[in-house]
Amino acid sequence: MQDIKRRMKSVGSIKHITNAMKLVSAAKLKKAKNAFEKTGKYFHYVTDVIEEIFHNTDDVPLKYLEGNREIKSTGYVVVTSCRGLCGGFNSNVIREAEREIAEDPERPKIIAVGGKGKDYFKKRGYDIRGEYMLPPENISFLETRAVSGPLIGMYDAGEIDEAVLIYTSFVNSFEQRVKSLRLLPFEIRRDPERPSLKKQMEYEPSAKDVFNYLVPKYVEIMIYSAIVESAVCEHAARRIAMESATDNANSMISSLNLSYNRIRQSAITGEIMEIVSGAGALK
Amino acid sequence: MAKSVVLEIVTPSKLFYMGEAEMVIVRTLTGDEGFMANHSWACKLLDTGELWIREAGAKDFRIAAVSGGFICVKESIIIFTDAAEWPAEIDVGRAMNEKGRAMEWLKSATGETDKNDVLRAKIAISKSLTRMNVANGGMRKKH
Repeated sequence: MQDIKRRMKSVGSIKHITNAMKLVSAAKLKKAKNAFEKTGKYFHYVTDVIEEIFHNTDDVPLKYLEGNREIKSTGYVVVTSCRGLCGGFNSNVIREAEREIAEDPERPKIIAVGGKGKDYFKKRGYDIRGEYMLPPENISFLETRAVSGPLIGMYDAGEIDEAVLIYTSFVNSFEQRVKSLRLLPFEIRRDPERPSLKKQMEYEPSAKDVFNYLVPKYVEIMIYSAIVESAVCEHAARRIAMESATDNANSMISSLNLSYNRIRQSAITGEIMEIVSGAGALK
Repeated sequence: MAKSVVLEIVTPSKLFYMGEAEMVIVRTLTGDEGFMANHSWACKLLDTGELWIREAGAKDFRIAAVSGGFICVKESIIIFTDAAEWPAEIDVGRAMNEKGRAMEWLKSATGETDKNDVLRAKIAISKSLTRMNVANGGMRKKH
């Protein structure tokens, strides 16, 4: 009886914690969602200009384009969270990354965003080339350069021939999906249907330079928005996990309460029986 | 009154500015350049520097600090930059500190230091200089 009482107490206090965490995540989710909604919106300007240059200039540099070199080794950017207690959020990302890596002939190079992913890959002896550890809620674009910088550097230096981004994309508050996306080489196809520009465009310093500036910028922005999006997912996942933990604690408490009451009642019944039979014996 | 053109200034995290402007002056890689309505189509890379906007009907310019990016001039003008700040948002003390730190670092640098690091320090100096100038009303006071 004492044991059940003690367990009820500990489950109750865990419930308090999970409930508080749920509320905190819900608040953070709202904030992260606001930031997320602002980001992706203006992104198309960059891709638009890239496509425009590609379609209107003949001598686009091939460095960042598909098919200019054989793909041998791959660099992965794996976006996880720094903190746990968010259900399957991190393990989903890591599983997807493992699946991608298994298909590669060569040992991949990994840039880890978030502590969980870094610990996992470090333990298994992967080649980690960069990491980003700060909490992603209020990350700024310039800070994400710490991630995208080394990636573009490795690509320029020929250490990797392909760059893949693995992150969690936000569908709604109840559903998040792990996505893997190829950043480099940039996939683009000549579209003969596309009308050429009405007027002559003036590029400065040159179309080539603008193009070579824009493609790495595209990579930087993609990584930035992936980190922001993944932060939204982390909080959404944690909120759900904590909500179900609170629900489980509730049902556990009620079943413990039931068995506690039963045991107590049977003890009382036993005592009454004793008293009654004792009184009967005295007559 | 000059003709006006729609100007949008975009950073990765937000829409920084949107409105009708008569003229916008930016620092391209080859120097300061002003754009007005009906400019020939262009796409130019930007340097770290001041951005001047004269809004439709306004007498004075509004200024902002921007760092890098590109300007795309067509029927409307779009500026995409890594970071943009109005004078009110700039922390002058921080900019001074950053400049000081980068200067110190440059002094301690020797011939063997990585060229990219030196470049980065120089960029940091020009960024904080721009910030300080913008906070004080811009390099060119009068127009």
